[in-house]
Amino acid sequence: MLLQLNKVSKWVQSGGQKVYLLKNIDLWVHEGDFISIMGPSGSGKSTLLNVIGMLDSFDEGEYTFLEDPVHTLKEKHRSNLYKQYIGFVFQSYHLIDELTVKENLEMPLLYKKYGGSERKALVADMLDRFNIVGKKDLFPAQLSGGQQQLVGIARALIANPKLILADEPTGNLNSKQGEEIMEIFSGLNKEGVTIIQVTHSEKNTSYGSRIINLLDGGIV
Amino acid sequence: MFKNYIKIAWRNLRRQPFFTFLNTFGLAIGMAGGILISLYIHSELNFDTMFKDADRIYRINADVKFGGSEQEFAEVSAPMAETVKEDYPYIELVTRFRNNGSILIRKKNASLNVKENGVAYADSTFFNMFGISLLYGDSKTALTEPNTLILTKTAAEKHFDSSNAVGKTLILDNEQTYTVTGIIEDMPENSFLRNHGVFMAMAGYQDSREGGWGNHNYPTFIKLRPNAKADDFQEYLNTVLGAYVIPWAQDFFPGITEEQFIEAGNHLRYDTIALTDIHLYSDRSSELSANGSIQNVYILSVIALFLIVLASVNFMNLSTAISLKRAKEIGIRKTLGSNKTGLVSQFLTESALISFISLLFSVIIATLVLPLFNDLAGTSITIPFNYPYFWILLFLSALLLGIFSGFYPAFFMSKFVPVKVLKGSGNSAVGGSGVRNSLVVVQFTISIFLMVSTLIVFQQLKFIQNKDLGFSRDQVLVIEDVYSAGDQALSFKEEVQKLGSVKSASMSNFLPTPSSRSDASFFKEGLKDQEHAVNMQNWQVDHEYINTVGLEIIAGRDFNPQFIADSTAIVLNESAIKILGVTAEEALGMRLSSDIELENPTFSTVIGVVKNFHFTSLKDDIRALSLSLGRNSDVMVVKLQAGKFSESIAQIESIWNDIAPEAPFTYYFMDESFNNTYQSEQRLGRIFMTFTILSIIIACLGLFGLATFNAERRIKEIGIRKVLGASVGQITYKLSIDFLRLVGIAILVSLPLGWYAMAKWLESFSYRIEINIWVFVIATLLAIVISILTVSFQSIKAAMANPTKSLRTE
Repeated sequence: MLLQLNKVSKWVQSGGQKVYLLKNIDLWVHEGDFISIMGPSGSGKSTLLNVIGMLDSFDEGEYTFLEDPVHTLKEKHRSNLYKQYIGFVFQSYHLIDELTVKENLEMPLLYKKYGGSERKALVADMLDRFNIVGKKDLFPAQLSGGQQQLVGIARALIANPKLILADEPTGNLNSKQGEEIMEIFSGLNKEGVTIIQVTHSEKNTSYGSRIINLLDGGIV
Repeated sequence: MFKNYIKIAWRNLRRQPFFTFLNTFGLAIGMAGGILISLYIHSELNFDTMFKDADRIYRINADVKFGGSEQEFAEVSAPMAETVKEDYPYIELVTRFRNNGSILIRKKNASLNVKENGVAYADSTFFNMFGISLLYGDSKTALTEPNTLILTKTAAEKHFDSSNAVGKTLILDNEQTYTVTGIIEDMPENSFLRNHGVFMAMAGYQDSREGGWGNHNYPTFIKLRPNAKADDFQEYLNTVLGAYVIPWAQDFFPGITEEQFIEAGNHLRYDTIALTDIHLYSDRSSELSANGSIQNVYILSVIALFLIVLASVNFMNLSTAISLKRAKEIGIRKTLGSNKTGLVSQFLTESALISFISLLFSVIIATLVLPLFNDLAGTSITIPFNYPYFWILLFLSALLLGIFSGFYPAFFMSKFVPVKVLKGSGNSAVGGSGVRNSLVVVQFTISIFLMVSTLIVFQQLKFIQNKDLGFSRDQVLVIEDVYSAGDQALSFKEEVQKLGSVKSASMSNFLPTPSSRSDASFFKEGLKDQEHAVNMQNWQVDHEYINTVGLEIIAGRDFNPQFIADSTAIVLNESAIKILGVTAEEALGMRLSSDIELENPTFSTVIGVVKNFHFTSLKDDIRALSLSLGRNSDVMVVKLQAGKFSESIAQIESIWNDIAPEAPFTYYFMDESFNNTYQSEQRLGRIFMTFTILSIIIACLGLFGLATFNAERRIKEIGIRKVLGASVGQITYKLSIDFLRLVGIAILVSLPLGWYAMAKWLESFSYRIEINIWVFVIATLLAIVISILTVSFQSIKAAMANPTKSLRTE
């Protein structure tokens, strides 16, 4: 078992009433899973992903990640935990505009205090693996959307995470680019990486092993 | 990691050249001001510290109240030095000076005189006292014999081809022959002797051996033995009055005792001031050279602090404002595993980098404006490029400033919540506008405060310049060193008087402009006791003096050449008759004498009373004064007809050259010299103005940056408003009014502060302006106008933009 949510709820107060963003979510994720989260706008997909990624807090319930009770952990431990095990992929790529491809890839390693030569080796591996060696000195603005997302995925993978969280990874791409990205996810999953993606597209869910449908913050 | 920080910081700076410019330029200006003022303060604080054993050297001061007049002298009587040396075992050395003002000097066979301004008698202990070594000559014998003198290198080179002039002969004032016995280095610029070039042996000055305790003419320095305490010496000094001065005074006031003296409300108190404190803390009569004041040091420190705070506030404001643009980066970094500390150190690195870049520029700016600053502050500061401590200090300060300025932005930004900023709800996610607004208020409070101060300083200066001083200083020419014409001085005066362009001319040693002069004690006939003594200045003048200088007679008459008895006549001013306790009419015919030490004194009869006029700084009250006839010819005062000044001066000069070809002809206009009296105030005024302008520039840079940011941030809102029908004027108003509100708050805060501070400053003037409400109105209007100009440019630009563009980008 990689992670487990147990009756997790999150709400905001609006006009004296609780508005639930997440309601009694129970979720088990095993290593090697490829899960797609679906649902209409505002159903809580991204919120759920952020809670799993420990970027967002929740108000009730329990969250266990690799035996660690996340809900009781301090901010610092939590951040160490996701730093070590989780990689993020975003719809709008979120590369740092001021850094080159190579430097963007290097950044997670810096935060994990890898040594210089080790960083170089890992970055070179990634560039190789995703066939972007020729782009290593370009800035994000000089790449197409699909290429940027490739870099985004490479960056998420570089520190060898157990879990990849992808928030509509193909949302800003055309269908061909989208397919390529999904192929890559599928390949990664076969290598044993656990993937949770948020998506609107039925087609993308076909790459996954499980679908979770959300509506108004609850699993249906 | 550090490299990564620097890299991204550098690229960020380059990507936003406009904000980078505002940030570094503002900081650099603030820093340059800070550097210059700090150097100035450093030099002020280190006055006279270069002398050997400076920490053990003290000057003896005298506070005197006698005969209705109260004065604080930087000098004591001639016998004081020997007395304390003999009585007090913990004194290692004593040295006296006796200021001699200016003197005309020529080489033995030369015909032309050269004027030397800083001339003083000095005791032969001078060298040991201050650790001054001779370039040429022997310090053991250099100032021991009468009619010997030593010169500074510069002074020597003025007269002789080489600086080794030992053994050469000089003629002083056309009559005394002196031998040069030593040459010393020029006195350091930040020492109390900086203006002195000639020191004559005290041994040749008769009064130094015979003078009594009544006059205070000798700046007297003592060097205590190591470990001796000034406080203990003070205890001894308290006994000098009873042990020496009173017994001496009994010769003229038989039977006087210390108790009587004090009961009569008089006092004579001696105390000491450390040599190194003189420059900043001493403001007495007859200082050896003009001193600074600790008040100015404080004022300047505050201004320097203001500048730095302003620049630093700019930095904070702009950094937090543009952090909106970096919200995404911060969000990504956080999701990639950066913790708060990492982000904080990243942003601190960035601000330190900006700080260092600004430092670079500020050193360049400081170097470029140094001559201007020296001119402004009347200093001769240099930037100590070769001094490692300077650089270390500079870098530490820049680092500190960078960290200080970066602290708030760093914490502010590190708090961004990644989920929010990455979702693109950017604007509302950034916030922090409350702090930014308060910082703008702080900036404008400081600027308006400085504005008010500047206006009031200038008003007071104008008031001084235009004040009716009781004498006329317009069209009055002062010709110096007329005595060098010797017997011909009088005929020079007569020739000048004959010129058509000259209204009148008068010779005297005394000008109605401030200079150091001491009082004499007068007493009425038959009332020779201390309770009836009147201390006042006695100026010896000629028949034309009152007329030429334009004094107003309110009772009696002027001196009249027809009356031979006028040689013992005296004219008093209003302050003098006030001490005498009589009206102007009652004073006429009164007989007074200053021959306090003689058996048969000569009495002078009061023939007239002149209206009070300001012959000291307007900071002081008008002192008692008497005028009597005498033949003095230090200067000649010439009242010219209006216009044709240069022609008149040429005529006078040609007369002079006929009469005294060997002496230089030097002159100045009296109103110029009057303005010199208020040099320190004028300096303060100019410094205030300069730094006020700087501070306003810095504050406006900040405001401009914020306005730009604000317009950018609200670009969508502006677009929507325009689509819905808002006019350019309405939008401009909407965007500007928020800033003006802040300026309004700053005005409310700063005006009372400015009023309070300037009321305090004005207290140091006996004659001063009332603070006028208009000052505040002007400052307010200026602040509003300047801020409207600053803000409206961006606001109008934003309001004019085509809304389809801004809305499409969303």
